[in-house]
Amino acid sequence: MASKQSTVASFIESAPPGELSNVLADVKSLVPKEIQSLGSAFKKYNEAQYAIVKLKSGEASLITPYNSISEDKYYDTAHSISFRVDHTSQSASDEEQHTIESPHAGTIRSLHKSFAAASAEHFPSSTIGIFPSDNSIAILLVANKYSPQNFWNGRWRSTYHLNLSSNSVTGSIKVDVHYYEDGNVRMTTSKKVELSSSGADAVVREIAKAENKYQEELNRAFTTLAEGSFKGLRRQLPVTRQRVEWEKIGGYRLGQDIGGGRSK
Amino acid sequence: MADPFDAALDLLRRLPPSSTQQNLNGIISLRPDLEEDLLSSVDVALTSKRCPKSGRDFLCCDYNRDGSSYRSPWSNQFEPPIDPEDAADLIPGGRVRRMEVALNSAVDVYRELYYEGGTSSAYLWALEEGFAGVVLFKKTSSAGGGKGSWDSIHVLEVTEATSKRSAHYKLTSTVILDLGLSSAAVDSLDLAGNLTRQTQSDNPLSGLRDSEIEQSHVVNIGRMVEDMETRMRNLLQEVYFGKAKDVVGDLRSIQPLSEVGRERDAHREVINKMGR
Repeated sequence: MASKQSTVASFIESAPPGELSNVLADVKSLVPKEIQSLGSAFKKYNEAQYAIVKLKSGEASLITPYNSISEDKYYDTAHSISFRVDHTSQSASDEEQHTIESPHAGTIRSLHKSFAAASAEHFPSSTIGIFPSDNSIAILLVANKYSPQNFWNGRWRSTYHLNLSSNSVTGSIKVDVHYYEDGNVRMTTSKKVELSSSGADAVVREIAKAENKYQEELNRAFTTLAEGSFKGLRRQLPVTRQRVEWEKIGGYRLGQDIGGGRSK
Repeated sequence: MADPFDAALDLLRRLPPSSTQQNLNGIISLRPDLEEDLLSSVDVALTSKRCPKSGRDFLCCDYNRDGSSYRSPWSNQFEPPIDPEDAADLIPGGRVRRMEVALNSAVDVYRELYYEGGTSSAYLWALEEGFAGVVLFKKTSSAGGGKGSWDSIHVLEVTEATSKRSAHYKLTSTVILDLGLSSAAVDSLDLAGNLTRQTQSDNPLSGLRDSEIEQSHVVNIGRMVEDMETRMRNLLQEVYFGKAKDVVGDLRSIQPLSEVGRERDAHREVINKMGR
């Protein structure tokens, strides 16, 4: 059986968008002693969910696997600084000058400019990050919208890797929506994206196109599910278009061919 | 600090509903003292068993469970069998069992009409005043790259007026709905969850003979379950397909926001001109 610690860690790691503090409060109330050893669960959550930290300047930066320097140190290419993160409180400290030594520094700068502008065209609120890794550049975006007073929260994450030698882009889009008024409904999606393009402006344009297409497909998928699987589970009304006459239900039983006519 | 039981329920309302069973087991392993309360108040996807006597499937829940055995509504016997002395205490008889049999046949017809397949079961038990019960439905489907499962759990509590001319019905219903789609266009889309709603009402009981009153309960329960399921189906449709789509639209706009802004400004200008 799983240890207490790994059980609690799995709760933290699967917290819905915007509800990490609620999950933590629940865990604290259930097992107050297990809270001490959760540092790595918070780190895992933060990096996987592209958690946002506020810098001294008031601007936002991301916690991701792509800008990690060490256990709790990350860097930001837009502001050329590094910072320490308290994974439990998602806060940054110890900001220091940090200039990346990458032959692609110029490309990173232009991607920043183009991607920031393009994102603002489609996301009312988002945080981006552009980070070098080997022969590719990671292009990241997270958009959150929290509405706990209406019992819903949502998150959109985009991850792209621009391969500089092949000019190809591979990546994924993930959307996570939680609705919890007298219930618990969760939507999670994952879509792979592949495209090819070169030059910051063109790459960013192709990304926006791919994301638009995906969002349209997703909207169509809701209709497909509503008209397909959902309808096939329970009808809105019986084939007869009439509600059940419960007083006469004994009579229904005599005519066994009603409905699907399955043998009983 | 919140009460641990409330914290457990809050946690289950937040963590992925597709893993409710696993998370419930996890919480119980952390807090074995909460086991009984949690098992009787958290709804998980239903499982079914084959009744060896009738050859028919029946649904399993905490209300027809004894240890790892479940009572079949068709045979009124536990599967696998339990100690006969224990069974004698747990198996309903008389009026409650007569109503249970009638409710199961009625619900079976209802299931065929609305679900066109699936499995249904109803269980009743006596209370000090009145009786209580649960009506269960389960249906799974897989068609055209999509998969789906629907579990509905209707728990009811019935108190008869002393005159036996009417009864008070309290209904708590949960529908667990899991839908998934895998296609080239969206890769993977999972919509899973559960909604719970409550209602209560006073309904007349017709007839004077016991059998008429019993039948009257079946009619009242059936109608209440039908109303509730119809209402919840609409609600699920709204939340799963309307709300989810709206939230995605709130996160990201397909139409460029600068265009949206320009349109809004133009609209405002028209309104202002009209107001002048």
